[in-house]
Amino acid sequence: MTLLDVQDLQVELMTTGGVVRAVDGVSFTVGRSETVTLIGESGSGKSTTAMAVQALLPRNLAVVSGRCLIDGVDVVARPKEAAKLRGRTVAMIPQDPMTALSPVSTIGRQLGEVLGRKDPSSSRAARQNQAAELLDSVRITDPRHRLDAYPHQLSGGMMQRVLIAMALAIDPHLLVADEPTSALDVTVQAGILDLLMDLQDRTSAGILMITHDIGVARLVSDRVHVMRDGRFVESGEVEAVVGAPQQDYTRRLLDAVPRLGAWEGE
Amino acid sequence: MARYLAMRVAQSLFTVFLIVSTVFVLVRLAPGDPAAAIGGPTATTEDLQAIREELGLVGSIPHQYWHFITGLVQGDLGLSYSFRQPALEVVLDRLPYTITLAGAAILLTALIAIPLGIFTARRANSSWDVGANIGTIAGQSMPEFWTGIMLLTLLSVVVPIFPASGFTSWSGLVLPAVTIALLQIALISRLVHREMAGNLAAPFVTVARSRGVAERALTWRYAFANSSIPVVTALGTRFAAMLNGVVVVEVVFAWPGIGSLVVRALETRDYPLIQATVLVTSLLAIGVQLLVDLLYPLFDPRVRVGKAVSR
Repeated sequence: MTLLDVQDLQVELMTTGGVVRAVDGVSFTVGRSETVTLIGESGSGKSTTAMAVQALLPRNLAVVSGRCLIDGVDVVARPKEAAKLRGRTVAMIPQDPMTALSPVSTIGRQLGEVLGRKDPSSSRAARQNQAAELLDSVRITDPRHRLDAYPHQLSGGMMQRVLIAMALAIDPHLLVADEPTSALDVTVQAGILDLLMDLQDRTSAGILMITHDIGVARLVSDRVHVMRDGRFVESGEVEAVVGAPQQDYTRRLLDAVPRLGAWEGE
Repeated sequence: MARYLAMRVAQSLFTVFLIVSTVFVLVRLAPGDPAAAIGGPTATTEDLQAIREELGLVGSIPHQYWHFITGLVQGDLGLSYSFRQPALEVVLDRLPYTITLAGAAILLTALIAIPLGIFTARRANSSWDVGANIGTIAGQSMPEFWTGIMLLTLLSVVVPIFPASGFTSWSGLVLPAVTIALLQIALISRLVHREMAGNLAAPFVTVARSRGVAERALTWRYAFANSSIPVVTALGTRFAAMLNGVVVVEVVFAWPGIGSLVVRALETRDYPLIQATVLVTSLLAIGVQLLVDLLYPLFDPRVRVGKAVSR
C-alpha cells in the first residue's frame, strides 16, 4: 500500500538572491514498511523535499506545486489537512537533535505533550508512565529520572533517542528522517540507525530517509533516489544504484566515501 | 544558593556605597554654594560663614565625608536645608509616588508591548507589521516632554478628561503613566518582535510543529517561553531606571515624586537631600536588578545554579 505518493513536486524558494527552484519536478512513492532514501550533496533539494512533503515550508517564503498524497490526502492542495496529519500519521526525526527540543521545558513535559494530544483523557501520571516506557524502548537508561531532565543535560545521541521516542509516541504511518545521524558522533550513528530499523519492524511505518551519506543509504534503504539540483538523476534498488551506478554524479558520490585499507601511496 | 545570594547582596551594597561616595564628592566639586542659595543675594560674607557652620560645611572634604559616613551607618543623612526635616524622611515621603508611577508605567508597557511584539512577529512583512514598525519608530522618536505636553493639551485642556497635574485622584496617574509608557512600548515591543521572530524560526518550533503542536502553543509555550529572559531583563532594567525618578515627566505633570524632588534639591544645592535621594534610588535600582537576576532560573533552566546535572 502506498503511504506517500509524490508526483511532479516543485518547490520555489524566495531568497534574498531571488527565486530559486529548489525542487524541480520529482516523483516517488513510499509504501508500508519501506525505506526510501533521497541522497545528494548539500543544496541538492533533498531536505526541502522532506519539508514540502510535511507542508512545513513557511508559506510566505515557499511556493509548492505538484501533487503529494499522504494516506490519500493531498497536502500540497490542502495545507490545512496537512496540519492535521502532522503528529498523527506523519512524524519527523530532525537533522540536529541539539536544537530540536525547546531548551526551557523538561523532556517529560515535551513527551507528555505528544501523548496528551494523542489521548487527551489520559491522566498526568499515566502519561508519565507511558513516557518512561517510551524512553526505555529507545534504550535510554534510567528513563524515569530522565523525564525531569532538560535538553541541555543530555548528549546529542540521547536527545536523538528522545526525538525518536516522540515519533514513536505518535505511532506514525510515515516517518520523515531528515539526516538523522549527520550531527552525531560516528560511534552513535550506528545505534540510532539500528533503533530506527527496529522501530520500523515493530510499527511497519514507511520511512523517507534524507542523507548525504552513501553508507547510511546502503544500510537502511530499499530504494534510493540520487538528487542533484532539485532533480533525480538516478533511481532504483539500493544495490543496483550503489553496485552499478549509471551516472557520473552517483559514481562521484560513491567515490567520496573514505575507505579503510592499506595506504597505497603515490 | 545561599552563598551565591550572600555574595550578590554584598556586591550590591558595595556598589551602592561607591555610588553614594562618588555623589558626595561630585556635588561638592560642582559649582554653586548652598550657603549662597539659602542666604540670598544680600547675604554678607559673615552671614554665609555662619550658614556654612550651621550646615556643617566647614572643614576639609575628607572630614565632611567621615562625618557623612558615620551618620550614614546610623541611618542619619542630615537635615534637608530647604525642608528643615531629616533628608531621608523627605525622600521616603515622596517615594510611594514614584513607585506608583513607575509601576503603572511598566505594567502598561508590559501589557501592550508584549502582545504587540508577538502579534507583529507572527505576521512578519505584513501591512500590520509595517504599520507597527512605523508606530514604534515614531514612539521612539518623540521626547517625553513633548509627548507629555501634547497629552496635557489634548486630554486635559482641549478635552478635559484627566487632571493636568499632581496626584489627587487615580485619574491623575493616567497621563504621566501613558507618557512614560509610549516610549517604553516602542522600545520593548521591538525587542519582543526581534526575539519572537528568531525563536519562531528556530528548529525546535519547526520540529514541534511537525509533531502537531498547535500554533497557539508554539507561539506561547515554545517561542515566547524562550524569549522571556531578554524581555524580563529589559523590563526590569527599565523599571529600575524609572525608580531613579522620571524627572522630565514628573516636572511636566507636577508629580510629587523623586524626580521633581531631585530637581528642587539640585536647584537649592541641598546636599543632604541629594545624597539621601541618591542613596534610596540606587538601593532600589540595584535591588530590582538583583531581583531580576535571581528570577532568571525560573525562566531558564540552563542558568540554574547548584542543581545536580546528570549526563
